[in-house]
Amino acid sequence: MKTIAAFNIKGGVGKTSTAVNLAFLASKQGFRTLVWDLDPQGASSYYFRIKPKIKGGSKNLVAGQLDLDDLIKGTDFEGLDLLPADFSFRNLDLILDGKKKPTERLQKLLAPLKHDYDLIFLDCPPTISLLSEAIFEAADVLLSPVIPTTLSQRTLEQLKVFLHDKKLKKLKLMPFFSMVDKRKKMHLDIMLTLPVQHPEMLDAYIPYASDIERMGSERMPLAAFSKNSTRSVQAYQALWQEISRLMNL
Amino acid sequence: MPLHFKLPGHLSIDKLLLELEKQTRLDLVSQHFALKTFYDSFDWRLYRKNLICEYDQSRLSSTLFIKEVDSDKIIHSVQIDQVPSFADDFIQAELRELLRPLLDMRALMQITTLDYTHYQLHIHNSDAKTVLKMTLEHYDPIQSRVILDPVKGYDKALKRMSKLLSSLGLIPTQEPVLVDALKTQGRKPKDYSSKLNIKLAPDMRADIAVKYIYSHLLKTLKLNEQGVIADFDSEFLHDFRVAVRRTRTGLTQLKQVLPVAQTKRFSRYFSWLGQITSEPRDMDIYLLHFDTFKNYLPEAMKADLDPLYDFLVQKKRAVHAGLIDKLKSIDYYAPLIEWEDFIRSAAIKKPDETQALIPVKALADQRIWVIYKKVIKQASAIKEDARPSELHELRKTCKKLRYLMEFFQSLYPETTLKMLIRSLKEFQEILGTYQDLEIQQQTLKELGKEMYSQTESPQTLLAMGALIEALEKQKVETRSAFDERFNDFNQADNRTIFETLFKCGAA
Repeated sequence: MKTIAAFNIKGGVGKTSTAVNLAFLASKQGFRTLVWDLDPQGASSYYFRIKPKIKGGSKNLVAGQLDLDDLIKGTDFEGLDLLPADFSFRNLDLILDGKKKPTERLQKLLAPLKHDYDLIFLDCPPTISLLSEAIFEAADVLLSPVIPTTLSQRTLEQLKVFLHDKKLKKLKLMPFFSMVDKRKKMHLDIMLTLPVQHPEMLDAYIPYASDIERMGSERMPLAAFSKNSTRSVQAYQALWQEISRLMNL
Repeated sequence: MPLHFKLPGHLSIDKLLLELEKQTRLDLVSQHFALKTFYDSFDWRLYRKNLICEYDQSRLSSTLFIKEVDSDKIIHSVQIDQVPSFADDFIQAELRELLRPLLDMRALMQITTLDYTHYQLHIHNSDAKTVLKMTLEHYDPIQSRVILDPVKGYDKALKRMSKLLSSLGLIPTQEPVLVDALKTQGRKPKDYSSKLNIKLAPDMRADIAVKYIYSHLLKTLKLNEQGVIADFDSEFLHDFRVAVRRTRTGLTQLKQVLPVAQTKRFSRYFSWLGQITSEPRDMDIYLLHFDTFKNYLPEAMKADLDPLYDFLVQKKRAVHAGLIDKLKSIDYYAPLIEWEDFIRSAAIKKPDETQALIPVKALADQRIWVIYKKVIKQASAIKEDARPSELHELRKTCKKLRYLMEFFQSLYPETTLKMLIRSLKEFQEILGTYQDLEIQQQTLKELGKEMYSQTESPQTLLAMGALIEALEKQKVETRSAFDERFNDFNQADNRTIFETLFKCGAA
């Protein structure tokens, strides 16, 4: 079982679309896949038409009183399940703070699922906190969408400093450009310069596209309603190919 | 929670769909015609291991499923255009490895076929999320089925649907569709086994009981006849020959039970059947064991044996064709019809034969005890320098004992007799292996002569020579284990049981 976290300190950069679309592509390839919607806003739950609610809430979940498997919901797609969000996830930091070894909690919760799933995608809330640290402990890959703007560049650097300080050796950072608008000069300039400073940037990128926005109204992964030939579907496929190659999947 | 339901006779699929539409958010995802074909070996090797092999064909796909009988759980599924006959012919390694130990040398055969209309339905909630998947299979000759496929985390939807279906009169079932399909043909799963299971009452008249045994054997013989002719796999001929040999043992060992003239005549007939099937069976054994033979040879020599395989295949084809001619001739079927008439004819009120009217239990005790003593006498006489023919004679006597014990097993305590049969079987194995090796050596020499004029490869003849030597080594090893195996069979416990079970009645 490999765990991939879609993470960025900033919000609105395409984390949920990344987790949902890549998880869908992975499941299509036959990987038994789970998405855990850790964001209290419940966007990935919404995309799969699943109510963002967990019986007993996050307190009991973190305390280990709930069996994670009982909370998982099957999506409408073969081999793809979802652990829904819950509004109480907004307090996850506080709850974790009250526990022993809080940053190891998430990893412990996920451990029993290792026989049921090949891949787990964590859709993370946009913050850097105790929860983020727990996510970093649990994940094998930190997939970070970066909009080619100067502000995003700064948050990427902040993230790298944070990861460096925490000495997370197992975790592999994979940043990639997201919401790219090639009509914008700044986007083009940053896409040229940033990979030089940060060679771990992936080659594949996700364009800014209206059909990705349509996921909100269709309430399903992009490739489930859009043709394979569209630019955005192909972009996610290329991204997934690159990630799976780097992860030796 | 039941997941499979049968539609009651009064409820059509259309009516059911209408009801479901009224009471749920239903989406008919697909509807298509399909064909379901069930496969197993003739002797139900998969079903006996709780597995069903089902091949579903539609214009969309052709999928082979291996499912568990009791849970309907899919163990394996694969899209294939054609179902191969033998486990080794599957190109999918996983499936091949799953089926090989189960089927061994037996072929997968079509058991029955059903055409049906397949409906795929999804039940949604208010968010248009699928909360339950359902399959409707509409059959004509059997009751249609509803299969619920729960979506993880949506147990309430499953419970609601289960309740709704029950309220509409659908009947929960765990019986596989295969069972229903077979019922329409008056059949049931596992309706063939090469093992004898003849229920006799101890006080039955011996002549009636013996005819009853023969009728069982005749049934087995007839069930295998078509398979022998078509040569689906080697075991049809094997089981056919076992039925022949068992019948012959009955006719030669249970004397003075049925009229002497008929007994002699049919004994000759079954002896002939044994002879005409002998060479084809030898060829089957060679082909089945070919890989083992190869493994007896050094690596560098293995490939040299391949021309022998081709030669055996050709020869098998020829001897099999000869057998078919004989099995289609009047020499085969006329006496067989007479045999059937004879064993079905009513018992003679006052038969001349001295053993005809005695209770079958007395006959069984007497014959088993006599043959058992003969086995012990012959086996005890086997010394270091015994000739192969002496071992062969002992083997034949053991077979007679085994067949008699199997004919009459229902007359004795089940577990005790099974234990005795198992013990005898283990002893027989060593004799069988020894005799097979002896015959294989002889046949190899004869085959070598036949091939000498045809082959351009002296290496093959050399490899065959090396194989004969390797078989000799095996023979010596097998022979050296004789005393130990005989002592196992002849242990005090077994002797006591044989005496207790058979001696008193025999006296």
